[in-house]
Amino acid sequence: MTDTLAEHAAPDLKVGTPLVEMEGVGKSYGAIRALEGIDLRVNAGEVACVLGDNGAGKSTLIKIISGLHPHTEGTVKVDGKPVHFSSPRESLDHGIATVYQDLAVVGLMEVWRNFFLGSEIRKGKYPMAPLDIAAMREIADTELQKMGIVVKDINQPIGTLSGGQRQCVAIARAVYFGARVLILDEPTAALGVKQSGVVLKYTAAARDAGLGVVFITHNPHHAYLVGDHFIILKLGRRVLDKKRSEVSLEELTTEMAGGQELAELSHELKR
Amino acid sequence: MSSSVATKPAAPPPAAPPPGRAQRSLFSRVLGRPEVGALAAAIVIFAFFYAVAPPFRTLPALATVLYASSTIGIVAVGVALLMIGGEFDLSAGVAVTTSALAAGMITFQFSLNMWVGVVVSLLIALTIGFVNGWLVMRTGIPSFLITLSTFFILQGVNLGVTKLVTGTVATPNTSALDGFASAKAVFASDIPLGFMTVKVTVLWWLLFVAVGTWLLLRTRTGNWVTASGGNQASARAVGVPVPKVKIGLFMGVAFLAWFLGMHLLFNFSTVQAGLGIGNEFIYIIASVVGGALLTGGYGSAVGSALGAFIFGMTTQGIVYAGWDPNWFRTFLGVMLLLAVMVNLYIKNYAAQRR
Amino acid sequence: MRSIGTPMKAAVGFAAVGLALAACSSEGGARNQPGAAGAAGGEEYTIAMVTHEAPGDTFWDKIRAGAEAAAANHGITLNYSNNQDAGEQATLVQNAIDSGVDGLATTLPTPDAIGPTVQDAVDAGIPTVAFNAGINDYQNYGVTMYFGSDEDLAGQTVGTKISEENAGHTVCVIQEQGQVQLEARCAGVQKTFPDTEILYVSGRDLPAVQQTIGAKLQQDPSIANVVALGADIALAANQAKADSGSQAQVVTFDLNADVAQAIESGEILFSVDQQPYVQGYMAVTSLWLNLTNGNDIGGGGPVLTGPSVVDQTNIGPIVEYAQNNTR
Repeated sequence: MTDTLAEHAAPDLKVGTPLVEMEGVGKSYGAIRALEGIDLRVNAGEVACVLGDNGAGKSTLIKIISGLHPHTEGTVKVDGKPVHFSSPRESLDHGIATVYQDLAVVGLMEVWRNFFLGSEIRKGKYPMAPLDIAAMREIADTELQKMGIVVKDINQPIGTLSGGQRQCVAIARAVYFGARVLILDEPTAALGVKQSGVVLKYTAAARDAGLGVVFITHNPHHAYLVGDHFIILKLGRRVLDKKRSEVSLEELTTEMAGGQELAELSHELKR
Repeated sequence: MSSSVATKPAAPPPAAPPPGRAQRSLFSRVLGRPEVGALAAAIVIFAFFYAVAPPFRTLPALATVLYASSTIGIVAVGVALLMIGGEFDLSAGVAVTTSALAAGMITFQFSLNMWVGVVVSLLIALTIGFVNGWLVMRTGIPSFLITLSTFFILQGVNLGVTKLVTGTVATPNTSALDGFASAKAVFASDIPLGFMTVKVTVLWWLLFVAVGTWLLLRTRTGNWVTASGGNQASARAVGVPVPKVKIGLFMGVAFLAWFLGMHLLFNFSTVQAGLGIGNEFIYIIASVVGGALLTGGYGSAVGSALGAFIFGMTTQGIVYAGWDPNWFRTFLGVMLLLAVMVNLYIKNYAAQRR
Repeated sequence: MRSIGTPMKAAVGFAAVGLALAACSSEGGARNQPGAAGAAGGEEYTIAMVTHEAPGDTFWDKIRAGAEAAAANHGITLNYSNNQDAGEQATLVQNAIDSGVDGLATTLPTPDAIGPTVQDAVDAGIPTVAFNAGINDYQNYGVTMYFGSDEDLAGQTVGTKISEENAGHTVCVIQEQGQVQLEARCAGVQKTFPDTEILYVSGRDLPAVQQTIGAKLQQDPSIANVVALGADIALAANQAKADSGSQAQVVTFDLNADVAQAIESGEILFSVDQQPYVQGYMAVTSLWLNLTNGNDIGGGGPVLTGPSVVDQTNIGPIVEYAQNNTR
């Protein structure tokens, strides 16, 4: 399964090189400040976990990095150069690929069409050049086999695959097309234990191949399994920012569950 | 998959032989196509009229049925692709009349060659399609509402402008203008095939269906159309230019509406301003009977052709059968219901087999 | 919208070249026709005309042209409004009453729905005239004048003429199923020529009209006459006849320029014209006479504007009238 990653991950990636750097980044929707003062570094070969409850600002953060909504404060740098994305295409062109929890694939389309969506192989450069369907089927089939995803037929609609498999196809697709930074939006949220395991293993594999990964989740257990760096968001602000060596799973879990507030509450309710 | 990768990525064991991978059988793949239900329904209805209506068995009758199907089917191809792209166009029926009126009036008023009107009305039609698509993408208002507005606007424009320009509500007879004969040959002639004579629209229809099918299944654009309708946010996220795709689809419908408008003009030489209202739903019905999902992301161009064929066969078949005309609409309704039910039955059967 | 640019530019360029190079058409077209003169007049009375016109129909356009010509001649301000829906039409009549018009001309396609409001207008002292539709009912609502044709009589005229000229199986084509006036026409044809059957077509879709009539002609080769109830339907019937190689004769109600030419050339046997221009013209004129001179035309009975039979023997000058939108 690492074959795919090793083959297609950019060769110049060195573990620890900063790929994306955010400094004091914020986003306002009119009068509403959805996010403020966020510092985040995504290094090659590391997984940065962004944790937070619903409404904490996780999805706003993703939208900024993936180019859906431009940021309104602070600076975002890719490879040390400031950027201001205005479309997902721009973000993709910088090697940043986002895999959304429920938007990862088009359910009614065939597996191979999904794999190549937006980056189709064509037999020519002219506007209406036909697709090279045989090649795309072949490549998608091989790549999926390499990562151990068993589909009965590469021509079946992707909606017939399990949730974990769909996530993996989406991740594999991003890596195959040369992503250097992977944004995973709640990849395990809707999955069972076994399915989550599949996705987590693949996430770790992507990290080991040298990619920078932003892993967004509200599950500290999943985050701690793969993460190198942890950020907890609450109401649009950063409340925790620590390296793996500085934080324990218990601390993460407590902070996620409410942290200080919970401690005070338990003190008050003490019997 | 190998479980060692997460911890020891440097030494992946060779992949195990792929378990149980196989192409689905030809039969189950055919059953998985969107148009298979419509095909079954078309065969059932054809057999039905063939049995009950003796005149239906003749070749001239087939030519008439094909002609009736083609005038629905030409626009329905575009409407089907648009619906696969996740949008509706309620202005298509009236846009046909707009194109015909524009071509007729421009050439007559300025005494120009007919082909000038053909080209100018094409530009007008494409502009209408562009505006429809641009408004839908720009405002985010459902296309149902945007094109309903266009439908009303065009209806008024058809009437108002025609009255303003010609003083009546119909275009003058254009058959004496230069270029009429050659344009008629392209848009409204009879083509002898040896064993039967068909209207040229039938051949154009088949061509448009072939192009639509090829576009949808064999080109990148087609991939983007399906993705835009199936999951717009997902398509955007992987870099599909959704607005361009959808505006293009609206322009495609406008192009085909223009084409039918030209047929109208050159077949009858004159066009009344009130025509075409109500046909937009027939195009949508043909697409849906042909397997297009109302919610987008699924359907086929061949299906729209089969839907149009079912509709044309039914409307003419009732006449050939000589049934009591008072019940015409009832028969039509029952036949369409039958077509949709056969369609659904086949699709469910196909889904179970999968 | 980058990708749209190139084909659009090409198309625009093509059109420009086309416009520049296109030689002006040597025959046909407005530039090669004598111009039409207009009429002018002052303003004194305001008359409301309310009809059940389906927008974009040449027949109604002639009624309106007649009404406008009469209004111009007599210096009347004409407020024209229309709606196919009977309830909406009643509302339009009420609008006219509310705006205090000097006279009201209305059609009565659905007397039960529109009549009571018309009665209100009469009670309010507004001189009212009915026209085109409602010949059997207008008197029930206090209206004293009516201009129109008796659909039943017109149908019977067609039936009689068919039995004299081309007796044979006849199809009467109704373009709007359930429309009372159209049904009455075909019923009239059946009275004087019983070997007549009815065919319904979808009048908003001319290719469909042509296809259905064509199918009927193929289904029954014995058909000798196709009776169309409108000028555009007649032309579609003519196309269908040519396509199917049928020998049937086309007979029609109403006229337009193309039908007039087809009668002249013998492609259409004859037309029964209810003279819509006269209906519009007389409705307005009778109100004007009533307002200025106290006249009451028709003595309470209907004034018939048709049927006027137009065939090859008398078509001569009518071709030109039809082109002027007055026949």
